[in-house]
Amino acid sequence: MSTFGTATPGNPNPNNSIEVAQPPSDSVSSLSFSPKANYLVATSWDNQVRCWEIMRSGNAVGSTPKASISHDHPVLCSAWKDDGTTVFSGGCDKQAKMWPLLSGGQPMTVAMHDAPIKELAWIPEMNLLVTGSWDKTMKYWDTRQPNAVHTQVLPDRCYALTVRYPLMVVGTADRSLVVFNLQNPQTEFKRITSPLKYQTRCVAAFPDQQGFLVGSIEGRVGVHHLDDSQQSKNFTFKCHRDGTEIYSVNSLNFHPVHHTFATAGSDGAFNFWDKDSKQRLKAMSRCSQPIPCSAFNNDGSIFAYSVCYDWSKGAENHNPASAKNYIFLHLPQESEVKGKPRVGTSGRK
Amino acid sequence: MPIKKELCKNYQRGSCQYGQRCKFLHVTQQQPKSNIFGGGAQSGSYGQQQKSNPYGFGVQNSSQSKGSTDYGSKPNNQFKPFENKWTRFSPIPNTGAPSARQSENQTQATNHKCTDPESCRRIVVEDFENERPLWKLTCYGHLKNAPCDIIGDISYEELRAAAYDDAKRGLSLQSIVERERNLLSSKLVEFENLCKPHAVAPSSTLPNQKPFSGTSSNAFSSFGQLGSSLNMGSVSRPPAPLNNGFGQLNSSAPSRQISSAFGTKNMPSENAGEILRFCLCGAFSLFLLTVILVGLFGSQFPASSTITGFSSNGALRESNPFSPSPSSAQFLRTTNNQSPILSMGLDYTSNANAPAQVAMGVQLATNMQKEDISGDVSIWSKNKWNPGEVPEEAPPDAFVDAV
Repeated sequence: MSTFGTATPGNPNPNNSIEVAQPPSDSVSSLSFSPKANYLVATSWDNQVRCWEIMRSGNAVGSTPKASISHDHPVLCSAWKDDGTTVFSGGCDKQAKMWPLLSGGQPMTVAMHDAPIKELAWIPEMNLLVTGSWDKTMKYWDTRQPNAVHTQVLPDRCYALTVRYPLMVVGTADRSLVVFNLQNPQTEFKRITSPLKYQTRCVAAFPDQQGFLVGSIEGRVGVHHLDDSQQSKNFTFKCHRDGTEIYSVNSLNFHPVHHTFATAGSDGAFNFWDKDSKQRLKAMSRCSQPIPCSAFNNDGSIFAYSVCYDWSKGAENHNPASAKNYIFLHLPQESEVKGKPRVGTSGRK
Repeated sequence: MPIKKELCKNYQRGSCQYGQRCKFLHVTQQQPKSNIFGGGAQSGSYGQQQKSNPYGFGVQNSSQSKGSTDYGSKPNNQFKPFENKWTRFSPIPNTGAPSARQSENQTQATNHKCTDPESCRRIVVEDFENERPLWKLTCYGHLKNAPCDIIGDISYEELRAAAYDDAKRGLSLQSIVERERNLLSSKLVEFENLCKPHAVAPSSTLPNQKPFSGTSSNAFSSFGQLGSSLNMGSVSRPPAPLNNGFGQLNSSAPSRQISSAFGTKNMPSENAGEILRFCLCGAFSLFLLTVILVGLFGSQFPASSTITGFSSNGALRESNPFSPSPSSAQFLRTTNNQSPILSMGLDYTSNANAPAQVAMGVQLATNMQKEDISGDVSIWSKNKWNPGEVPEEAPPDAFVDAV
């Protein structure tokens, strides 16, 4: 797959995933699937938000580019509205846009911050968009009004956000994790310091809202339960490491049906895990570039991940003339994402 | 799944090396008999237990347990807090090692209470030896769930956004390189200092950093200015204007002091090759150097909404951040053979008008050509090439023997 004819080591697609047509021309910053259909949206450092329709018949999967919009600066995050008609995107232009793409409408700016918007999420139960920014605030927006409904000050810049109503967890710089009960969004429910020792990279709330996962740059994921009586179930585990090289965990996604989860890292690998039996269900082969973001579709039958440079080694490894940016679609088999009983239950001492 | 219903004595004492494989019962007082459900762990009643929650998370979603029979099972209970729990997590390749890992983490984290700075320091040193992540611009805390010992996080996206931004504003590559180099070196100094005796203050107070010598505090000041320019909340520095911060960094004293902290290292700006040994993370040093090669300014491509589909790949290439305006795009393409690492994505548009940017882009490309060789050089000194940075052409003669 080294189409530019050099000896670039490594196969960008060792897992034989399906490649999405016409990928972005710069690194992908976020991926999100529509909650209603197989539409995939990718935001990129080339300032574009693109949408593909993913068609699937059996094991054959195809992608058709559908539409795209531009921001003025790199776009960092995206989210679909729950009805699957509208896409929100935000980024370094410090704005978030609402794009009613299914109806062919034009994008509209609906949110503003003083610094780039790193994360955003749509909360259907409140009909609000929440945006987290590097200006250390989080704002709630009613898209029909120009001013934020509420501004929440965070302990530091927002790095990660996850919402499962009424649980919302924000990961900030300097290892703070703030938990909110969205039934009372103006008060922090809890503020804790991360169970991991280094910078927080991503968070994902449990589907049953009992807790959340937190991933860091040190190749480790923490499983944290909110309830104090369940603290004994908290644990951390190592992943995305290769010998002495420790890569960051860039993305955590729960499978919508089985509630197992996937991690994707800067080592270019993605793995499937079951936190309840504490097993790794499947380790996929490493791609030649990091995986900065990934997403499951609404029923978990497609796992999309992007293979492109995430800046984990600074600008030196960024070679835009020959940089390839991919978005791949993996069809998880049941054995990869279905939870399993603990290993070795029949083993003897 | 336990075959016999006897309680496991090891587990009652704290830990059992067999984990889930153990043939005795691993229970806590909370759920004495829940293991009866067996390996697969029906989530039925157990799931209901989980639903109770101080403020009602999850109460309405009792349907969560549909179809996920493994969800909500309890082997988690056998671990105490702060024990490393990932014993079972890589079942196939690592079945031999679980006990070793457990003990390693138990000695460190289980009983650490931050009462003794020396033990804190030992943990820090151990961490830095065994668990140094590849990304260096990070905060750090030696104790889980305790505040950071080193603050001042910079994430990948922030660094990238700052770089894209700088290029768009027209900052010279040299200053971008200097800025990032100083960021890295001041952060590394902080980490070094944390390892020193008397360095770790077992508390959450920022004054951790203050007792240090002037070296680090000056490094801090440059870092602080950088931090403000990156819109970060570093320690108590007033925000400095973006350009001023960068300009000062080029010639700031901290870089000198940092070299002394590192001993015999040369100043990075003097010799490209030396930088490789200057930084603890060799790969990161190239980051600074090869940014020299970057010389493009993105022109603002029209903010259009393409409803009918994506433009062709050719058009996309043209609006690619790394080929600014059409004229300089062609210019740059001709230089492609010389420097594989040609440009950073610098497609940020400032309010400057496009023509000015084009002119600057062309100029910088010219400069870039001259600097190509010096930038490239670093690649050849590197011992290990990471994916994505293998150069496309043969090494310059100077390196044929050296490497």
